[in-house]
Amino acid sequence: MYAVVPRIGAGLASLLLCFSLQAATPNLVVYTYDSFTSDWGPGPKVKAAFEATCSCTLELVGLSDGVAMLNRLKLEGDNSRADILLGIDTNLTAEARSSNLFDGHGLSLPSSALPDPWQDDLFLPYDFGYFAFVYNKEKLASPPTSLRQLVDDSAGPTLLIQDPRTSTPGLGLMLWMKKVYGDKAAEAWAKLSPRIVTVSKGWSEAYGLFLKGEADMVLSYTTSPAYHIIAEQDLRFAAARFDEGHYQQIEVAGMVRSSQHKELARRFLAFMISEDFQKIIPTTNWMYPVIGGQAVVPTEFDQLIDPAPALLLDETSVAEQRKRWVEEWLEVMSR
Amino acid sequence: MVSRAIPAGLVLALLALLVLAPMAGLLHLSALPGYEPADLRFWESAYLRRVLYFSIWQALLSALLSVLPAILVARAFAMQPELPLRSLLLGLFALPLVVPAVVVVMAVVSVYGSDGWLPLGRSLYGINGILLAHVFFNLPLAVRLLLPLWQGIPQHHWLLGEQLGMNAWQRFRFIEWPMLRETLPGVMLLVFMLCLTSFAVVLTLGGGPRSTTLEVAIYQSLRFDFDPARAVMLALLQLGLCMLVAMLTLKLQRMPEVEIALSTPQRSRAKLSGAFNLLLILAATVYVGMPLLSLLIDALQGPILQTLSSPRLWQAFANTLFIGISAALLSVVAGWFLLQYSASLARQGRIRGARLIDLAGSVVYVIPPLVIATGMFVLLTPHVDVFDWVYPVVIVINALMGLPFVVRCLGPAVRQCHARYHRLCLSLDLQGWNRFRYIEWPLLRRPFGLAIALVAVLAMGDLGVIALFGSTQTATLPLMIYQQLGAYLVSQATVTALLLLLLCLTVFALLERGIGGKADVDN
Repeated sequence: MYAVVPRIGAGLASLLLCFSLQAATPNLVVYTYDSFTSDWGPGPKVKAAFEATCSCTLELVGLSDGVAMLNRLKLEGDNSRADILLGIDTNLTAEARSSNLFDGHGLSLPSSALPDPWQDDLFLPYDFGYFAFVYNKEKLASPPTSLRQLVDDSAGPTLLIQDPRTSTPGLGLMLWMKKVYGDKAAEAWAKLSPRIVTVSKGWSEAYGLFLKGEADMVLSYTTSPAYHIIAEQDLRFAAARFDEGHYQQIEVAGMVRSSQHKELARRFLAFMISEDFQKIIPTTNWMYPVIGGQAVVPTEFDQLIDPAPALLLDETSVAEQRKRWVEEWLEVMSR
Repeated sequence: MVSRAIPAGLVLALLALLVLAPMAGLLHLSALPGYEPADLRFWESAYLRRVLYFSIWQALLSALLSVLPAILVARAFAMQPELPLRSLLLGLFALPLVVPAVVVVMAVVSVYGSDGWLPLGRSLYGINGILLAHVFFNLPLAVRLLLPLWQGIPQHHWLLGEQLGMNAWQRFRFIEWPMLRETLPGVMLLVFMLCLTSFAVVLTLGGGPRSTTLEVAIYQSLRFDFDPARAVMLALLQLGLCMLVAMLTLKLQRMPEVEIALSTPQRSRAKLSGAFNLLLILAATVYVGMPLLSLLIDALQGPILQTLSSPRLWQAFANTLFIGISAALLSVVAGWFLLQYSASLARQGRIRGARLIDLAGSVVYVIPPLVIATGMFVLLTPHVDVFDWVYPVVIVINALMGLPFVVRCLGPAVRQCHARYHRLCLSLDLQGWNRFRYIEWPLLRRPFGLAIALVAVLAMGDLGVIALFGSTQTATLPLMIYQQLGAYLVSQATVTALLLLLLCLTVFALLERGIGGKADVDN
């Protein structure tokens, strides 16, 4: 009970503060996922760096994930407070595009680090990564060298994966299999299925189980080992390089059409693809920055595998067929 | 009579509004352009049938495996009132309920995983893992809910039993079973509902999409496919299913007989079976304690100082406490009005009406918070800035979710109190506040304490609602744990989980003792 009184006081104070700030400087609202805004995410550094130059307040609103952000924006329509949406990936851009809630950014990447040239006038990428199976080098001496080897070897390593209905990497693996196997994907899943220890709701559960030693490999990112190397000085983990290439995830941001601060929003997007923002990404979001240049990526990233060729299905076919593919996956995996 | 009907009617109307309005809001959405139009073909799909079958099967099995052993364990605790560390053990039994599911999964894996203390290997994933986790959650809860029953058995029943030379089985059959019979179906129903709506546990320990529950299908409809109409249909299906189960179980339940002793202290008896009881208590404690212990060990090895020095952690700590206490108070007040009315109906012999009200208070739990929250969001967002409404919305939904616990903890006692003292109150012309102050409060403060404490810790452990509405600024400890796990910070997350557990343990003990009264607390 006693906690309530100071809370109300603090609430009033922050309300007053909001008013006074709003009068003085514009407030740029960015919807993003909450791991972006957390203490250990890019949020605090990005906020400090942008506010140092913009004479504005950057308000990062952390929501649970990309799907939640987009749903929320759709529900809010023109009433939304959001000026920028940051944190959906290319599997969602088709849906976001058809919502008609976004405005063109009018910018281009200065020196793209993306494997393919970026051509999208609504959404601008800010980081990217590749899905991969991560393993512990001390426990698994010879990891498979291709997706086909992983699927075909019935005595191969046990796996932890995520559910494509609830998780981004889970969806990524489903698309990866589609890209490599095409119409034969269902058969490949059937072969793989006996070695899948469990299919978790999200990345965290699967990765947590992997760290507890529940399976030989876990579906994650090629950049995951970099976390262990840089933050924990732990060299045991590596991602297995597959010959077919690795499926990409590109995370993008877009400017909301109903924004009252479009000029400022555009400045933020320009800042987002500048070195000041991009050099924050590798060690906070554990993804690759989208612009090239030596200063942007820490040297530890050199120890990571080269994921080429980069695989990606175009957003329209994903949007059109995702539902059917998920049903197909469900059917095989439920046998 | 009327005076009791009005507040209860208000609460019921509010309940209906809180459940139905969001659903209507969602259904309305699916008629708008730009949204998935309602597609009802899924209704006949094999997928839905499989999901339905699996949901019911795992929930039923989990409920049986949690509640049946809980009867024995609760009985053992009741027979050992002077057991050393008894209240500490019972406090421990309140904890599993608040551990966020994702932490329980990790703790269960620490114990039974391939590198664990009792490795089960691959066979952990599937129904085994689900049951292990569900029993871990619910057995202690059932023990806490059943334990007060033995205190309700009048001393002279035991004496009579002794004089008649009853053996242990006869004592159980003729003295204890009649009491159990009244509460058992309700507890069973509650645990069934908790397991039916279980989500992260089923999905992670279930081994794959074979283990898909209705709750997962609802989540999928609302998040990935954003098909609001289907989500509402599935939510209604889940609600209907629970109503059916509720009606079946509550049919088994008898309203109490009038002879009641609400606070007779329990003497240690049944010395012969003492060893067996101790063994039962030991087994249950080991079962519940092992995952908690593994969590404690992990947390103590974690970066404690670094984690605890984050100001955001303490902000989340304060948010958690605030939401928990507010939701608990709201829930108990609402539940109190409902139960008062239901008790007065029961006293007048209108059993069916009384049951319906209990039912309404019980089944709200199975409306997925995601559906209510999204629906509320749809309704609120054109009119207000939802960011300013995070706390009220989260508190109200958590209070709603807590209502079944209030009905279970407080219901039987309120009915007994009503049955026994209503006439006395009438003859003394005791009404309203005075009646509450002098008759009801002294008799009911113990179940009140348990109800408030349970709902508070339950709301403090909530992840479903806060994850939808909360942003980083309004994060609670469970949300923070989830965020840490999502950012490779597994060891920080275990420290945060330990902090949440300690907070819950403290709040539980303070509320239960503070409200329940010190002298009676060992139950």
